[in-house]
Amino acid sequence: MLSIKNLKASIEDGTQILKGINLEVKPGEVHAIMGPNGSGKSTLSKVIAGHPAYHVDDGSVELDGKNLLEMEINERANSGLFISTQYPTEIPGVNNVEFLKMALNSKRAFLGLPEMGDAEFKKLCEEKMDLLEMDARYRERGVNDGMSGGEKKRNEILQMAILDPKVSFLDETDSGLDIDALRIVANGINHIMSPEKAVILVTHYQRLLDYIKPTYVHVLRHGKIILSGGPELALKLEDQGYDWIEEAK
Amino acid sequence: MNAEFIQNLPTAEQAIARLRELGMPRRNNELWTFFPVAKIPTPEFMGTDFAAAPTDQASPAPQESDFAALLPIANNARPMVREIVAGAAEMAMLKCNNDFGHTVLEIGKGAKVSLEILDNKVTHDIAAERFDINVGENADVEIFFANPACDLPLRFRHFNINQAAGANVRFSSICRDTAIGRVSVECHLKGEGANFDYRSLHVLDGNASQHSRLTIYHEAPRTTSTQLARNLLSGNAHVSYDGSVIVGYDCTGVNSSQLVNTILMSEDASISVKPVLKIYHDDVECTHGNTVGELDAEQMFYLVSRGIPKLAAQEMLMRSFAQETFLPLPDSPAKKRLMREVNK
Repeated sequence: MLSIKNLKASIEDGTQILKGINLEVKPGEVHAIMGPNGSGKSTLSKVIAGHPAYHVDDGSVELDGKNLLEMEINERANSGLFISTQYPTEIPGVNNVEFLKMALNSKRAFLGLPEMGDAEFKKLCEEKMDLLEMDARYRERGVNDGMSGGEKKRNEILQMAILDPKVSFLDETDSGLDIDALRIVANGINHIMSPEKAVILVTHYQRLLDYIKPTYVHVLRHGKIILSGGPELALKLEDQGYDWIEEAK
Repeated sequence: MNAEFIQNLPTAEQAIARLRELGMPRRNNELWTFFPVAKIPTPEFMGTDFAAAPTDQASPAPQESDFAALLPIANNARPMVREIVAGAAEMAMLKCNNDFGHTVLEIGKGAKVSLEILDNKVTHDIAAERFDINVGENADVEIFFANPACDLPLRFRHFNINQAAGANVRFSSICRDTAIGRVSVECHLKGEGANFDYRSLHVLDGNASQHSRLTIYHEAPRTTSTQLARNLLSGNAHVSYDGSVIVGYDCTGVNSSQLVNTILMSEDASISVKPVLKIYHDDVECTHGNTVGELDAEQMFYLVSRGIPKLAAQEMLMRSFAQETFLPLPDSPAKKRLMREVNK
């Protein structure tokens, strides 16, 4: 499904942030990426999405055999990639629902499907908003405009639910969420997840993984995945931090 | 009718005399600093020696100093004089029949008026319209225009607005014209609590060159004014915004703001902004700001990363930028019309 091989990327001043990432994600899997601040987790998501602030120095990222790095940013999304960043961008004046409809119909056009009409979209939108226990105010607001951190994260998962991606890369989706919101968002992700899809979660805490059971847990440090394991690895990291990994090497 | 208001308007002879005194606009005149003055054809009545017009025969209309304000009258524009009585509620569309037009409106106390200005039909290379509007106490007036792109080579629109105590005027416009134009506004807030709200949006491309010249005189305590000008410029388009706020003596509690936001969509598009504040009283609040930039790169990335094609994302951001110009307006015919035009 998603295959990342020897991915190296740098920022404008030439500083290399990703120094050879390798990751294989298969359908039905949930991968958790953990690591100290500044290790390259957010950079990984942005590089895969095609953020112009990063330059890919080497490597490949394939989704179902197609090289994402050769695609335009919107083509990557329409091919089935969904990236939720740590700090979702506010876009005042662009209505949330109009944006969602435009995004969905862009994907449908890319896939050769007919445009979804207003009535059908409204029904789909309401269904997903109910799933995430979102009230009607979200429909009237600008994209992430004036939303609290938790509201923004919930809005991101609404987008994920409507766009129905193959692979979702969720960067610190649990940050800014209170206990109830965490449960709602996690339930939403679990609901969207299926044997044909995959999720990559970036998180600092076990609490999200209590709700979303990871298949694999990876530790990213200094731009490389230095350790991979099962769900027990997250518990050990929560308990002992990251230093023991370096010491054990 | 306010007799003094009407009597103070210059006659054609006075306008010609005054124009001959002033001479043709030059860039060293601060009223015309940014305007391509060489594009203005010299009217026949200026003669060939207007620059040397005798000063001992000064015109009886010395208070008039803007060429564009005098031009329609000097060209014998047939004035349309209209009174809207106190307490009336009226919606009207104004359209000149000729290339030079002069509209005089007297709006009574407490009237509620919505005025849409339509483009006139012109046959020459230049058109000039003048509007003299006297707004009575506590009247609520909206003046707006959002016409289809006009390719007239040169057009002037001048507004002279006087507001009595508590009068509220909202002036809103959208311009997509493709040639040279200038809108000038002189607003006199003469009565306590009067408010003037100015909003303009220019969406220009090609070689369009559009110019705004505002002078707001706060002549009474607790008067307020707002200016918001937004520009989306592509190609070689140029906009200038020359906005002056003058707060008179003893005008306590005045509040005035001016904000110009511009998005340049091409390397060759340009904007010139000149804010002027002349404040002759201490207890006032006046602000001005000016931003120039491109479409927000993070917002673009966000939209495109959701699958929206780049061009569509640009359009979404441009539309939202444009919509925000008029969103704060109260629900009214003006807002409905302007938002419809923005959403086209």
